[in-house]
Amino acid sequence: MSTVTTYRPAALAELRDALVDSARAGERLAIAGGGSAAAWGGAPRYDAVLDTTAMSGLIAYNPTDMTVAVQAGMPFAALQETLAGNGQWVALDPARAGTVGGLVATADAGPVRHAFGTSRDCVIGVTVVLADGTVARSGGHVIKNVAGYDLAKVFHGSLGTLGVLAEVVLRLHPRPAATATLAVPCDAAAAFDLGGRLVHGSLEPVAVEWCDGTLLARFDGTAGGVEDRGRRAMALAGAGAEWLPGDDHRAGARWSAVADLVRGADGDTVVRLGAAPDRAPSLAALVDREARAHAVDAALTSSPFAGAHTVRLRGATAAAHAAVVIALRTEFPATTVCRWADGLHDELPAWGEPPPAVAVLRAVKRAFDPDDRLGSGRFAPWF
Amino acid sequence: MSWSAELAEALGRENVITDPARLRTYECDGLTGYRVQPAMVVLPRSAEQVAAAVRVCAGHGVPFVARGAGTGLSGGALPVADGIVISLQRLRRVVEVDPVNLRAVVEPGVTNLDISKAAAPYGLYYAPDPSSQQVCTIGGNVAENSGGAHCLKYGFTVNHVLAAEVVLADGTVTTLGGDSAQVPGYDLLGAFIGSEGTLGIVTKVTVRLLAKPAAVRTMVADFATVAGAGDAVTGIIAAGIVPAAVEMLDNLAIQAVAASTESVYTPDTVAALVVELDGPPDDVAEQFDEVQEICRQHGSTKIMLARDADHRALIWKGRKAAFAAVGRISPNYFVQDGVVPRGRLAEVLGRIAAMADDAGVRVANVFHAGDGNLHPLVLYSEAEGQHDRAERLSTQIAELCVELGGSLSGEHGIGADKACSMPRMFGEDDLATMLRLRTAFDPDGLCNPGKVFPTPRLCGERPGPYRPHPLEEAGVIERL
Amino acid sequence: MVLTPGGSGSFDAHHPPRRELLDDCVHCGFCLPSCPTYAVDGEEMDSPRGRIYLMDLAERGEIPLDRTIAGHIDSCLGCLACVTACPSGVQYDLLLEATRPQLERHVPRTRRERLVRRAIFAVFPYPARMRAAALFGVLYRRLGLRALAHRLGIVARLPAELRAAEDLLPPVPVRSLFRRPAPLVPAAGERRLRVAMLEGCAQRVLFGDVNAATARVLAAEGCEVVVPQGQRCCGALNLHAGLEDDAAARARRLIDTFEQAEADVVVVNVAGCGSSMKEYDRLLADDPAYADRAARFAASVRDVNELLAELEPRAPRHPVQAKVAYHDACHLANAQRIRTQPRDLLRAVPGIEVTDIPEADICCGSAGIYNLVQPATAEELGRRKAANIESAAPDVIATANAGCLLQVRRFLTADIPLVHPIEILDASIRGVPLEKARR
Ligand SMILES: Cc1cc2nc3c(=O)[nH]c(=O)nc-3n(C[C@H](O)[C@H](O)[C@H](O)COP(=O)(O)OP(=O)(O)OC[C@H]3O[C@@H](n4cnc5c(N)ncnc54)[C@H](O)[C@@H]3O)c2cc1C
Ligand code: SF4
Ligand code: SF4
Repeated sequence: MSTVTTYRPAALAELRDALVDSARAGERLAIAGGGSAAAWGGAPRYDAVLDTTAMSGLIAYNPTDMTVAVQAGMPFAALQETLAGNGQWVALDPARAGTVGGLVATADAGPVRHAFGTSRDCVIGVTVVLADGTVARSGGHVIKNVAGYDLAKVFHGSLGTLGVLAEVVLRLHPRPAATATLAVPCDAAAAFDLGGRLVHGSLEPVAVEWCDGTLLARFDGTAGGVEDRGRRAMALAGAGAEWLPGDDHRAGARWSAVADLVRGADGDTVVRLGAAPDRAPSLAALVDREARAHAVDAALTSSPFAGAHTVRLRGATAAAHAAVVIALRTEFPATTVCRWADGLHDELPAWGEPPPAVAVLRAVKRAFDPDDRLGSGRFAPWF
Repeated sequence: MSWSAELAEALGRENVITDPARLRTYECDGLTGYRVQPAMVVLPRSAEQVAAAVRVCAGHGVPFVARGAGTGLSGGALPVADGIVISLQRLRRVVEVDPVNLRAVVEPGVTNLDISKAAAPYGLYYAPDPSSQQVCTIGGNVAENSGGAHCLKYGFTVNHVLAAEVVLADGTVTTLGGDSAQVPGYDLLGAFIGSEGTLGIVTKVTVRLLAKPAAVRTMVADFATVAGAGDAVTGIIAAGIVPAAVEMLDNLAIQAVAASTESVYTPDTVAALVVELDGPPDDVAEQFDEVQEICRQHGSTKIMLARDADHRALIWKGRKAAFAAVGRISPNYFVQDGVVPRGRLAEVLGRIAAMADDAGVRVANVFHAGDGNLHPLVLYSEAEGQHDRAERLSTQIAELCVELGGSLSGEHGIGADKACSMPRMFGEDDLATMLRLRTAFDPDGLCNPGKVFPTPRLCGERPGPYRPHPLEEAGVIERL
Repeated sequence: MVLTPGGSGSFDAHHPPRRELLDDCVHCGFCLPSCPTYAVDGEEMDSPRGRIYLMDLAERGEIPLDRTIAGHIDSCLGCLACVTACPSGVQYDLLLEATRPQLERHVPRTRRERLVRRAIFAVFPYPARMRAAALFGVLYRRLGLRALAHRLGIVARLPAELRAAEDLLPPVPVRSLFRRPAPLVPAAGERRLRVAMLEGCAQRVLFGDVNAATARVLAAEGCEVVVPQGQRCCGALNLHAGLEDDAAARARRLIDTFEQAEADVVVVNVAGCGSSMKEYDRLLADDPAYADRAARFAASVRDVNELLAELEPRAPRHPVQAKVAYHDACHLANAQRIRTQPRDLLRAVPGIEVTDIPEADICCGSAGIYNLVQPATAEELGRRKAANIESAAPDVIATANAGCLLQVRRFLTADIPLVHPIEILDASIRGVPLEKARR
């Protein structure tokens, strides 16, 4: 699509102008950050692209307050690097290398969502620009703040359909003095059981992830504290468990495997879905069964206690992928397709059963973008 | 049929109140400065009855205001004169505690503390703990996005609610959120939490429960100056420690506590910090020593360690009763609620003290220091005609917080009280955009009208001239 | 309603609720969860905060004294859990005591209310009449009349108030209806104190055993126990019902009687009586002839638990094996702030385990004559309390108030013995099993 216009504003004013101009031209816009999640949900129809990556500056960072304000196009990895210099981080570890704004718009997160939640739990303020060029701010620069509605929340998971995130303020956490990973080969049911014992035993893992046959639990804290918890966790885990202190290649490799699975590769289908914790084992069984039935190579990674799961389908036909996803959707309607195998779009509607509040979702969309200019079709067939 | 007759029929006579004297007991919440007698109060016994009541209101264009325990401190549950109050005090069932999935399902009138009580047999608890937790309802907490002392480590209501069944302004019932945080689409639940009852009425809430921490250590560190205590807080945070709670009380607050319960605080100390660490025992022990060291470095004059659970309970009892206990040392007072960046605590406390001197009234401070969430209590005597002075000072303090890069409210909400100050913090476009969200939920504006947003009726013809936000002047934010 | 000149707002000038006391309430609501009527209904007017609000409005003359406000003040149990819960130090007890007589004066009661109240006040304060009623009750049961009345559906047709009274009657043996302690019980060993004991009205009739046990335990602990003869009702029921003048008259007479005993301490084993006797100073403050004497008297009053906790134990305790659910009587816990003493006394008995009860701070619904005049709420509270107690699965339930004993017994579904804590001490000191000690 070489005829597509691209707007690439570098500042809030330029961004606002871009939206006003495109509104005047009656263009439908696709909002693009790092592009790592461009395929999520339905395929938007657009006449022009709004690329946010030039808005990548650091606006304010005061380490004492433990908050940071950035332009939304800043690569998330770059931000983490800056913060690391002060022993701080945004407590999120998404697999995809996107922009900060993209992270909010996709509601993405990684294994530490077990303890820290998703971007919704660390964003404390946003500036957004709506389709008509309205610039609006909500929240602020302090971690505790209930003045006015929290617009960041409606933009969380908005997939570029409500407006453009221009600036994001985040709360920070101190980087732990020590970290270690427990790795236990086991099936999903055993993982859920052991994970439950770690959680109920007040061992406070920051991540509990069951990835393709291995339970990984990460512990952050003081050196002595992590070591002590390691002993107790190993005792709970029993034979076959490994304790991997530090963040080096051994533990690192385990966690990269999770990220690799979540990202997928060309030709894969990747879906993200939500479920109550105790459904993790039955989800694993369902994935297994359906994959076998349709001769698809399936892999699953789960944060059972955060209720977040990612399934990667590889090999076989798009029709086979579609069959598996449809089977998943009947049991777990809160499913988002994040990567589409070639031809899958022809086999599968972008979304399954809508959530109960779909009427409100539609009303919000209408209120923010009445002409449906932004990310049009992303949530089809819901709206 | 008139709407009032319809309501009586839909809910049953025994569930509606129309007698004027009775109605008057509903005319205010915890902020008694604003009083409006509603036309009717209804006390539904089920979510269906809530929906039925809202449908009648929607049909007749009657405004309605939800009410939990009425402990709100911003006039959020203030009735509307020609509208009704929907009290949720008869929906008080803990529907389910699910220890395996670490959650509980409760009706909106269940008190915050009762959730933890119901979860206790499983070694679990509900983390957000407003000081009013024994009385305030989860419905009110959801509406206000309430926080508490332990929110420094654990976050606020919004971080602990998974789903809410909500009656929308047209009387339809829907569910926001779901089985997990992974619900596709806009985070409507997150937007609803903290919307101060203006987007709908909660009739059921699914909350997350946490396992009780293995170890809890608590100390009270005395300081000879308020600034010293403020700097110690900044020091603790800067050291990369995330305490479960860091609370500060100044001498006036300590006096009030001493007058009300068995106080464990040093009576004549200028300021005291309550610092609590919780988590795995070794981590806690190590950081507990570090915190003591930081307090000493910042001039702490005495450190008292909680001996056991009972002693700790006494420390917290004093802290949590402090607001109400101020009634013992002053005939009248305003509770203020503002937030400053954590690095500016000492500075803001100094400026508040100076402003209080100028105004000739006393200000007691008892607050969530770890989050920078101040609660200056402006003490005054109505009888001695100090009301206006005190009120002005209280408003000035909130606006000072905004000036220092903070917020008008950390947890009590904007409600009716601070709606007119909103233009200090937000521009017209900001507010207009927020109103778009409101319209999506409640196109006719029947749900708790007159709260949060400045209206000409409330604040005069115009909500005040636009003034640049201080952060804008500092170049931190830009507004176009 | 005619405003009495000189009054405040709708109240007349005779001791209206005081403005400063009303102003102490900051409307924080901390008292709501402890209020039994609010627990039942969730209505603001039936909460402490709401009642204070109504008093406040009346004091400002913004609402009249009429049946509406009277209804909400009547529905208050006077359990004073709100006083304990209030961080702002609101003296709701004083507000309530000031408001009730005003309502009695200005709001006419319905015929039925008058009848019920008249009947109650004609019986309860008079031991002889009480005994006659109880005797009737015993015979009523023993002769099968009760069963007959129930079978014929007569009971179901009784007004709720009478049904409550019918249900409250405890299964007492006739013998114990007539049991009286000796007028003087000497101290065992060296005398530490001379104490004058209140017998109580309903107490001496229905719980003669408790009085006997009290005298024995006190004697064993070195107290010489006098039981002033001719003592009458202390007036607690009248006081809590807002019948101020009757209460004052009874107070004067009781002071007269007890002064003659020349005791160091006046000891009471009924929480409701003790709490009003401790208030005599306030009740008679306006009476020049009695003000000082009332103050001295009030200062000398001790609940038996309180007194024993002050005395270093002397008599050896023998083991009593039992898990005891201790139920706080409101008039002990809230009005007299006596909570730890009875528990500590019980814990000092080898073999006794004291367990906690859920919702311990919520009243059982007895509250003086409340269960007779507000039977529906009282019933709901009684049921709730009994269920909470049973959930703790105790062997024995102990509570230091006659009214609570009657009320809780009525709603228990399991057969758990109910005793006054002093009976456990008595059994322990005498070294006999609890059941036997109570015979
Ligand atoms: C002494 C004292 C200490 C306090 N300490 C704290 C503290 O530490 N932290 C803190 O955050 N707050 C605190 N508060 C404020 C207050 O307790 C909280 O705001 C609380 O969440 C209010 O709950 P409530 O049930 O009393 O709600 P109400 O006061 O009845 O109502 C508050 C708002 O919620 C709305 N609402 C109530 N129920 C519902 C429902 N079911 N659905 C939709 N909307 C509803 C009302 O319309 C109103 O806007 C304190 C208050 C007092 C008096
Ligand atoms: S707790 Fe005290 S101050 Fe608060 S509402 Fe109740 S009586 Fe009033
Ligand atoms: S005395 Fe008891 S019943 Fe009466 S208001 Fe207080 S708590 Fe409620």
